[in-house]
Amino acid sequence: MNFRNRALGRFLSPILALLTSLTAPLAAADEPAKLRIAVVANSTSGTPVFVGPPQRLASDQEFQQALRQRNVELEWVPVSSAAVATLTNEAFTNRRIDFAFYGDLPSVILNASGIKTRLLVPGNLGTNTYLAVPANSGARSLQDLKGKRIALHRGRPWEVSFAKLLEANGLGFNDFRIINLNPQAGAAALASGGVEGFFTLDDAYVLEERGIAKVIWSSHQAPHDWKMRAELWGSEEFINRYPELTQLLATATVRAMHWISRDENRDEYIRLQARFGLPETVIRRDADANQVTWKDYWAPLFTDSLKKHYEQVAAHAHRNKLIRKSVEAAELFASPGFVNRALQELGLEHYWNTAEAWQ
Amino acid sequence: MAVIGEVLTGPADRPRRSLRLNPAVLAPLVSPLALLAIWYWVASREIFPEQILVPPGVVLEAFRELTESGELQEHLGISLYRLTLGFLIGALSGLIFGVLLALSRQVRDYAGSLFQALRQIPTLALIPMFILFFGIGETLKVVIIVKATFFPVAVAAWDGVKGIPTQYLEVGHLYRLKRRDLWLRLVLPAAVSPLLTGIRIALGRSWLVLVAVELLAADSGIGQMMELARQMMRLDIVMVGVFVTGIIGFALDKGFRLLERLLLRGRIAEKTT
Repeated sequence: MNFRNRALGRFLSPILALLTSLTAPLAAADEPAKLRIAVVANSTSGTPVFVGPPQRLASDQEFQQALRQRNVELEWVPVSSAAVATLTNEAFTNRRIDFAFYGDLPSVILNASGIKTRLLVPGNLGTNTYLAVPANSGARSLQDLKGKRIALHRGRPWEVSFAKLLEANGLGFNDFRIINLNPQAGAAALASGGVEGFFTLDDAYVLEERGIAKVIWSSHQAPHDWKMRAELWGSEEFINRYPELTQLLATATVRAMHWISRDENRDEYIRLQARFGLPETVIRRDADANQVTWKDYWAPLFTDSLKKHYEQVAAHAHRNKLIRKSVEAAELFASPGFVNRALQELGLEHYWNTAEAWQ
Repeated sequence: MAVIGEVLTGPADRPRRSLRLNPAVLAPLVSPLALLAIWYWVASREIFPEQILVPPGVVLEAFRELTESGELQEHLGISLYRLTLGFLIGALSGLIFGVLLALSRQVRDYAGSLFQALRQIPTLALIPMFILFFGIGETLKVVIIVKATFFPVAVAAWDGVKGIPTQYLEVGHLYRLKRRDLWLRLVLPAAVSPLLTGIRIALGRSWLVLVAVELLAADSGIGQMMELARQMMRLDIVMVGVFVTGIIGFALDKGFRLLERLLLRGRIAEKTT
């Protein structure tokens, strides 16, 4: 009987959550009961581990204290790395989250569908992307893979990176057989010979270290804006309705990025991130290959190159018919005022090179 | 007298009644139409965001868009090709194996228990292993359908042949029927009714399994069209996929029932005369 009740509860709770979240705006309270943030997480090691700045944010006592004073409960909504884009977009759509740390292309796709979100705090300068082939493959470049099967999880941020690589080689999606597989399945397909290529993130290094694959291209050797971006996005409705809470989160995020960006914390940050599954050597190898200093890599600034990046992402999505309505990059950004105020409050106005940042 | 009058007028009423719409014809339409009405009403009230509960009009528009661009036909064609190929291989081999199981003691002894054990494994549970063996290309889909078809057809053929009264076979032997005639004129016709049911069930299952495996791993097909649309937040396209999948499954089942009736009608008439 207990089991049945629990099963019933498990079945009903998302429905109840949906209904309460839909009626929540009617309550018209000054503060929401919860601040819900989606993060890429896994808990294979027992305690949940978050990817990127949220890992630091989760242990930020000052932030959590401020929320407690306002009687706002902080709720982390973990999403699996197998389908971050889809799960986060679906959670934004049925209003189960207010904020999310996730990627550029999915955010554009979400906004094109009519759900409005805004980029609140820019993340780091970007994550590198990789093209891997089986270890025994004779392919040396993208050209060698023409007409072959390449695993790529569609709608994920690294798709834009892949598109740029194709374009630079005078090729298009139709020159390959693109197999839509999540990163885990893509790795398995590469290992079993199901695909001849696999376009992904630094998990390609893990395959290489295990002797399964070799990396034949990475965005290290490409212009800086070929990297994919992941950052803090929030529901437009929430940002407009609760600007003070939004500021609290923006400030805490900038504080976390400042902590990470200091050279003395670099090792600890990498050690924490390694708990997510990627070996420290892999993370270090990826970070070392960046063309900017560790500190500048973590600058949370709105700049023209950020805007240009989103223009390219939106153009790719529209050109390849991933979205029906075009999306204006400029409309995707929350006011830079949140970040600027955070920098002021933390006394970091001159910490990063703000010459190019929007005021 | 009044009673006789009623009885007499009774038959005269009948032709008039058949001019009216027969409720038995309309009845199956009631629940789909009601569902459509509820869907339309809930969507128009905007209780759920449009992105979650897509209004019927938008789904229809997506359907038009997909058919005009030829995208839907292309995916559907690929899916149906996979279904046909896998189903033909699975049904034919299942038929042969099932009949052998029923007729040959040796086949039963050597392969019977393995067959019984294997058929208990759900097809979907085999997908991860099949991906490792067959990769994620066309072979995987065809093998999955062969698996989903082979076992129900083999079981149906086994049962069908087992159910043939032994007198039939004795008469066959008495007349010294050749082996070929014994099969074509006796064994298969006698087993045809349970066999057809088995094949129909297998066909329905294959379709379900195919769409499921296309959702997981494919570069084309109706299931993949739905999965890609989900990743792109295009629930209208997902809904088109849901409807098309449902309608095709329904049509396959109906079509096969019709075929069953056509094939069996002659035999039933034979029996009754």
